[in-house]
Amino acid sequence: MELNDGNLQTLTEYLRKTLNPDPTVRRPAEKFLESVEGNQNYPLLLLTLLEKSQDNVIRVCAAVTFKNYIKRNWRIVEDEPNKISDADRTAIKANIINLMLSSPEQIQKQLSDAISIIGREDFPQKWPDLLTEMVTRFRSGDFHIINGVLRTAHSLFKRYRHEFKSNELWTEIKLVLDTFALPLTELFKATIDLCQTHANDVSALKVLFSSLTLISKLFYSLNFQDLPEFFEDNMETWMTNFHGLLTLDNKLLQTDDEEEAGLLELLKSQICDNAALYAQKYDEEFQPYLPRFVTAIWGLLVSTGQEVKYDLLVSNAIQFLASVCERPHYKHLFEDQNTLTSICEKVIVPNMEFRSADEEAFEDNSEEYIRRDLEGSDIDTRRRAACDLVRGLCKFFEGPVTAIFSGYVNSMLTEYAKNPGQNWKHKDAAIYLVTSLASKAQTQKHGITQANELVNLTEFFVNHILPDLKSSNVNEFPVLKADAIKYVMIFRSQLPKEQLLQAVPLLITHLQAESTVEHTYAAHALERLFTMRGPNNATLITSAEMAPFTEQLLTNLFKALSLPGSAENEYIMKAIMRSFSLLQEAIVPYIPSLIGQLTHKLLLVSKNPSKPHFNHYLFESLCLSVRITCKANPATVSSFEEALFPVFTEILQNDVQEFLPYVFQVMSLLLEIHSNSIPASYMALFPHLLQPILWERTGNIPPLVRLLQAYLEKGGAAIATSAADKIPGLLGVFQKLIASKANDHQGFYLLNSIIENMPPESITQYRRQIFILLFQRLQNSKTTKFIKSFLVFVNLYCAKYGAIALQEIFDSIQTKMFGMVLEKIIIPEVQKVSGAVEKKICAVGIIKILTECPAMMDTEYTKLWTPLLQALIGLFELPEDDSIPDDEHFIDIEDAPGYQTAFSQLAFAGRKEHDPIGDAVGNPKILLAQSLHKLSTACPGRVPSMLSTSLNADALKFLQGYLQAANVQLV
Amino acid sequence: MPTNNVVDQRISKFKNKGKDLAKLREKRISECVELRKAQKNENFLKRRNITLSSLPDEEALSPENDTVGLHYRIEDIIRDVNSKDREAQTRGCQAARKLLSKGRDPPLKEIIDAGLLSPFVSFLAMDDESTLQFEAAWALTNIASGTSWHTQQVVEHGAVPAFINLLASPVLHISEQAVWALGNIAGDGAAYRDILIECNVIPALALMVQNYGYLQVGYVRNLTWTLSNLCRNKNPCPPLSAVQQMLPALIQLLHLSDKDILSDACWAISYLSDGSNDRIDVVVKTGIVPRLVQLMNSKELSIVTPALRSIGNIVSGSNLHTQMAIDAGALNVLPNLLRHPKPTVQKEAAWALSNIAAGPCKQIQQLITCGLLPPLVEVLRNGDFKTQKEAVWAVTNFTSGGTVEQVVKLVQSGALEAIINLLQVKDAKVILVLLEAVNNIFMAAEKLGETEKLCLLIEELGGLERLEVLQNHPNEMVYQSAHDLIQKYFNDVVQVDATQNLFQTSDVKKTFEF
Repeated sequence: MELNDGNLQTLTEYLRKTLNPDPTVRRPAEKFLESVEGNQNYPLLLLTLLEKSQDNVIRVCAAVTFKNYIKRNWRIVEDEPNKISDADRTAIKANIINLMLSSPEQIQKQLSDAISIIGREDFPQKWPDLLTEMVTRFRSGDFHIINGVLRTAHSLFKRYRHEFKSNELWTEIKLVLDTFALPLTELFKATIDLCQTHANDVSALKVLFSSLTLISKLFYSLNFQDLPEFFEDNMETWMTNFHGLLTLDNKLLQTDDEEEAGLLELLKSQICDNAALYAQKYDEEFQPYLPRFVTAIWGLLVSTGQEVKYDLLVSNAIQFLASVCERPHYKHLFEDQNTLTSICEKVIVPNMEFRSADEEAFEDNSEEYIRRDLEGSDIDTRRRAACDLVRGLCKFFEGPVTAIFSGYVNSMLTEYAKNPGQNWKHKDAAIYLVTSLASKAQTQKHGITQANELVNLTEFFVNHILPDLKSSNVNEFPVLKADAIKYVMIFRSQLPKEQLLQAVPLLITHLQAESTVEHTYAAHALERLFTMRGPNNATLITSAEMAPFTEQLLTNLFKALSLPGSAENEYIMKAIMRSFSLLQEAIVPYIPSLIGQLTHKLLLVSKNPSKPHFNHYLFESLCLSVRITCKANPATVSSFEEALFPVFTEILQNDVQEFLPYVFQVMSLLLEIHSNSIPASYMALFPHLLQPILWERTGNIPPLVRLLQAYLEKGGAAIATSAADKIPGLLGVFQKLIASKANDHQGFYLLNSIIENMPPESITQYRRQIFILLFQRLQNSKTTKFIKSFLVFVNLYCAKYGAIALQEIFDSIQTKMFGMVLEKIIIPEVQKVSGAVEKKICAVGIIKILTECPAMMDTEYTKLWTPLLQALIGLFELPEDDSIPDDEHFIDIEDAPGYQTAFSQLAFAGRKEHDPIGDAVGNPKILLAQSLHKLSTACPGRVPSMLSTSLNADALKFLQGYLQAANVQLV
Repeated sequence: MPTNNVVDQRISKFKNKGKDLAKLREKRISECVELRKAQKNENFLKRRNITLSSLPDEEALSPENDTVGLHYRIEDIIRDVNSKDREAQTRGCQAARKLLSKGRDPPLKEIIDAGLLSPFVSFLAMDDESTLQFEAAWALTNIASGTSWHTQQVVEHGAVPAFINLLASPVLHISEQAVWALGNIAGDGAAYRDILIECNVIPALALMVQNYGYLQVGYVRNLTWTLSNLCRNKNPCPPLSAVQQMLPALIQLLHLSDKDILSDACWAISYLSDGSNDRIDVVVKTGIVPRLVQLMNSKELSIVTPALRSIGNIVSGSNLHTQMAIDAGALNVLPNLLRHPKPTVQKEAAWALSNIAAGPCKQIQQLITCGLLPPLVEVLRNGDFKTQKEAVWAVTNFTSGGTVEQVVKLVQSGALEAIINLLQVKDAKVILVLLEAVNNIFMAAEKLGETEKLCLLIEELGGLERLEVLQNHPNEMVYQSAHDLIQKYFNDVVQVDATQNLFQTSDVKKTFEF
């Protein structure tokens, strides 16, 4: 591509087309540009256009296109072709600084970004003169140019704030410091002087202050990794000037905007960060300056207003004080009673006030308000910063600070009492202050767990919280109501039980409040109270104690779901779930009406699932309804099926992916309740459950396996007779699962159920193939997890079909296979099997091999007899071997059986542990003794001789113990 | 006016590299680029002789003569030095020496450019003209104290063999001056240091040490300093044979009581022990470890610093080396040093501790028994940032190698709270190392079945919130670690995410073999 007018013209046309809203015009133009961008001179054409085009739109468009081009192509990736010719690279680097500096701001920004992308790759080695070129512009005196340079420098250097120390990085920083630090310092001083010269020229000041902000940001980046020698030597200059700027005010720079931070605020905020950086990392060197900064920042806080635009500055400034006041060697700066009082009065209290912005959020943006207030996403807010400062001060001055605030709390409450309608915000602040003063440690699960002993929480509750909760009009002063509810909730572990019981019916009443925040808080508080544990780990509040309120509670919770804004309120749904779980059989009378409401809700949300937590708790509530009702009367299961199946069918038909795992779990729960038969409605669904597409989604696998297990348990015989053609499909699922390291244990769950529940003849023809698949996997990728599951399966097979059947099928696949599996897998690995049921299965299987398999007695397998017995005794007596080979450590945690966060497991759909051996074998050790006895009587003399020749002494001792306990002797 | 100290480049790495954490452990190996000012309490690489403390040369010191030199111009010096008259030569040489000894900006380059180095070096050989010999030695000493270039000029004019010969001078202040000059040359760097070693400077110096009883204390101080410079610098380290030759002399010096001598001797040991395990081995085999521990407990900062550095190097060696330091009582001294008023001492002590904590659990147990946990937690909480950084390594190493019981002990000592507080520190690497410690503590809790309890404790201490904030950290690894911890331990709210399977076996031809 030549650099000529023709090409410039073409490019201009295509650029213009890329702005066309019509995709049939825009897309081909974009494609064209992409197709030519590999040509030499393409970037230079763009640069020419952005500099010289007559059309401003084209200039900006060329700039953006250029930046994106650089972003995509500048990096040279190893083994891939260089996408920009060296000549173009050199030309770009030679011109871009000048171009950037002489362009209008809109274009300047794009070019500045491009420079930092290039710089990230090329600086310093391949762009050695970049910095010097930039630094020389400092002397230009033109602050439009200077700010361009500073902005570019900032985007180049800001990565120093988060990258790890490395020699490469530090070499670069050193180079930057050598070239940049001194000119930057000179510029800083000169800019400050100019601010004085132009103190009355607002437009000049604006430019100068944005320079100062950028300079302060650069200071932060350059000082982040370590304190550079240059800045240590020049600390006086920088800190004195920073201090001066912190205390400076200029009417001309004040903005009218209430929301957006002005230049002064941005600058001071950055200076607070710089001071905090030095205080944290370079304390030894910064110590002489620190007290001055404390005073200045404190002064700043006292004089800064309530507007939102000051929020960042104020919260940065308070956080600075909070971090300093905790340090023992600065304690003295805060010690004086007047200082403390003044900080409490002028810094903390004003920043705890409920502002109009908070009020707006409370009313119009309740979700955001709740997230901030309840879930702690308030990190950068003033209230939060003030709270942290209270906590910091309490470290050394808990007594005095508590005393000072007690006075404030009282006076604020008095103000409120005088005229609640006018002064309700005073009470809000008082409650907030008490909360922040009293809470020393907090968790979601328990609320406040450690409180300031100097604050009497119960007294405050009785005198100031309870009256609000009791007020007859739930819709009056909703903020104070929400405060009162929150107080109960977070101090629940600190308040006596009788107070909590007193609060419960009041909270139930507040579920009816119109305010979303208020009824949400009420639901949340109830939910939290219901999870509290009393002595003996029972719930603190019992179902009996709730009896008088049960109906009201359930009614109000479901009514609250119909309040505006709360149709899918997760807090309410969680409270429903928790209430069911607490009340247990007390809910049974209400279920017929509630189940209708729940299924109706389910139908609605399944159209467009958008609140995952809400949906989850909805399904949990359904499970609870089923469990609790059917526990009392299993026959009611059919009425649930009647209510739920129509909705479930819709969900399955519409393939609502988010809900399928839930549906499978609820169906499993329902099916498991049936006594040993399988209703036709389930059988009709069976073929659909084997569809490969369902098994492609990992979240479906655990619940589907469980559902198939339930089918097999209840209807193994029915499947064998009426759906025998589906058996290959079922085994196909097993084969798919077994092939995956992540899901193989699920495959074994399925296989074990097949072996256990299907009539033997129905699977005879598939057995050999099943084992071949297992052996192939064992050969190709043997993992500890697979071996553990394999051992359980092999022994279950043995327990079910007998040892001879096992030996014969193994040896029919390959000669001496049985011996190899015993020697290489069972004997060395059985110690790794975990779980009581799994161990029992292995024990029974091995006992059968030892005592019911003739091949073990008269072939070359005989040599494995004692080692196998020894392994079995080891399984009984030794601790589980939880070692894992080194090369398996990388396997993800998700691969471990039992760890199932990947799918949405329902806590209340839980399945009882299944024991296929069951009561048939009470104590496997006794079974071993008895079986050995039987064997020894069949072939007298052989067993004792095998034992005495090679069983080790410890094992023998244990074995004798078993024989004694079983009261048998070997002959 | 000594040249700026070259930044101390200590090799330090954690031992037991085989552990999983090795990739995280900071390998502070040699040649680190530094942004900071050089350490202030390090000993000097080169020194200029301005006034004489130990030399008994009354004449040179007499005030009436003292002013003479300063009125001399370079041209006068050139004239005098190049004359044939011994007296004029002496006068010129002395004047040059005085110019070179004046307070600020001595005219090193002017003297070199004037071509005076050749005559000065030739004067060194004039055993019958002791005054001239002495003045020339002094002048050359001061030139050698300049930059590398200055030192290079002195060496290239053949001063090295001449100075080594002067060590044997019967006139003690001349031999002392030679010691000094050689110290400056050795201090220039590994190359000149090794040239001196090849010229057999060590046996000559060692002989002087053996006879220290006959020497003035100032002489012995110079001697020790020169020896320390011969131990100094890396890439390469001084040859092992030379080290073996120097060690007996240094051991002897370490048993004296003069604080300057002890300080420089300790620095020498600290250089020798700053290296691979075989280097450390040579040092500890001399049996000096108990004495170093004793000196680490000295009241003099100038002794404590290098003694502590030496012990720190030793415990970075093998487990056996560490055990020797422990057996010598290092763990009894470290608590005091962790509470030392000087942050730099605290930092070095914490560094030593971090290496002991990287050892086997038996040594970790000794660390607990000797009461190191409370001061460790104190520095984590309130230490200067440099110290906190080392303490963080100590905690992470401790949690990665300690037994479950030991980790529990650490948590009970308040370390967890301190760790959590530090998660807001402005240093990505430190945060990553802290997250590793948190992860290790979780693994211990899992073994005890107390994961849930730990989750609550961490949440109570504000740790969960810190972790949540770290999920927004711009550093990818920090973000990922924080995210993983939350996912693994704090994610109790269950998440909601988002033809026929074939049952057939392929032909089985190959034999199964497990």
